[in-house]
Amino acid sequence: MNDIELKNIWKTYDQKIEEAKILNLQSWAVNIKTFEYLQTHKAATILGSLSRYKKVAVILGLLWAFFLGILVYGNHFKNVYFTVSVLAIFIFTIIAIAAYVKQIILIGRINYGNSLTDTQEKLTRLKASTIKSIRVIWLQLPFYTTFFWNTEWMKSDIKFWLITFPVTLIFTFFAIWLYKNISLKNAEKKWLKMLLGNKEWTSLINAKKYLDEIEEFKQG
Amino acid sequence: MQNAQEKEVFLQLILQNKGIIVKICNAYCHNSADREDLAQEITYALWKSSKNFTPDFKFTTWMYRVALNVAISFYRANKKLQDNISFTAITEEIADQPGNHAAEEKLFLLQQQIAALKELDKALMILYFEEKSYKEIAEIVGITATNVATKINRIKEKLKQNINNTKK
Repeated sequence: MNDIELKNIWKTYDQKIEEAKILNLQSWAVNIKTFEYLQTHKAATILGSLSRYKKVAVILGLLWAFFLGILVYGNHFKNVYFTVSVLAIFIFTIIAIAAYVKQIILIGRINYGNSLTDTQEKLTRLKASTIKSIRVIWLQLPFYTTFFWNTEWMKSDIKFWLITFPVTLIFTFFAIWLYKNISLKNAEKKWLKMLLGNKEWTSLINAKKYLDEIEEFKQG
Repeated sequence: MQNAQEKEVFLQLILQNKGIIVKICNAYCHNSADREDLAQEITYALWKSSKNFTPDFKFTTWMYRVALNVAISFYRANKKLQDNISFTAITEEIADQPGNHAAEEKLFLLQQQIAALKELDKALMILYFEEKSYKEIAEIVGITATNVATKINRIKEKLKQNINNTKK
């Protein structure tokens, strides 16, 4: 079989598609003539579905941040450990929300008119970028072990220094370790799978494989 | 594209080049429902991206970029498309038409081989079969023309070999 034969087979395909009238494009053209169609269809696009999860995360994050604000205000700054802990959790929540908002803006700026490798790489990196917000959220961890501290307890109870304080130290080291290690390059590690859950982890693994594939494709 | 006249021009351009959309939908989807969904996604993306179109490229180059980007993203977002590469629907629709059975068999084999390719390789072969120059393919895909030539030759040889082996 030579190149001409191969191309001729494709030409048969062309002809058959025309004959079979597989896609009636005229009807979509009529559909998109109305802006109503564009408005209703918008929610179903691929980019729309990519940013939907992130939008939900932003809304939940804002509600959580609002609740934390009420807690701090309600405490009237009476307990410094409680105030500092809740404020720290609040700040990390806001940083994670900001990362999601940035990703949503970038998704909106994706231009399908750019080359395939460029667009596919940007889209895949954006899909995998959820991990950036997740690693920031883990930095809150030690502050969940400090909000109930008080000076009186520290002075009078040895158990505070033997149990509570070491637990906070362990959580701090763990949170920093996770922040440093939750990344695309560690995507295949078992601990990351346990941490993210099967669905999120599979999507991360697919993103990593596809990025490697794009890179290999570009190299030739 | 804001006013009615511009909208009409856009629709005419889409209709004149509808073959591009049809072929891409057939390469990335294997049943009528998915093909129609993808075709709508592509049409919608073309409409939304039309404001970004600049005459730096030919209209068809831009259209191929948008359509292939949407098709690849659609394919990757739908796991069932990756799991199931059965050609039932399209072959049934084609088989209803009168024609040469030997040619249909070859066509089926070619479709099968193209469907088994990776997403970007599939795009390369569609553009090659559509008689695009290596330079234009390079602009659409985003790699060098030399790389395009090397890859196409490699895939083409593999396709020929697989088709010949299957026929035996």
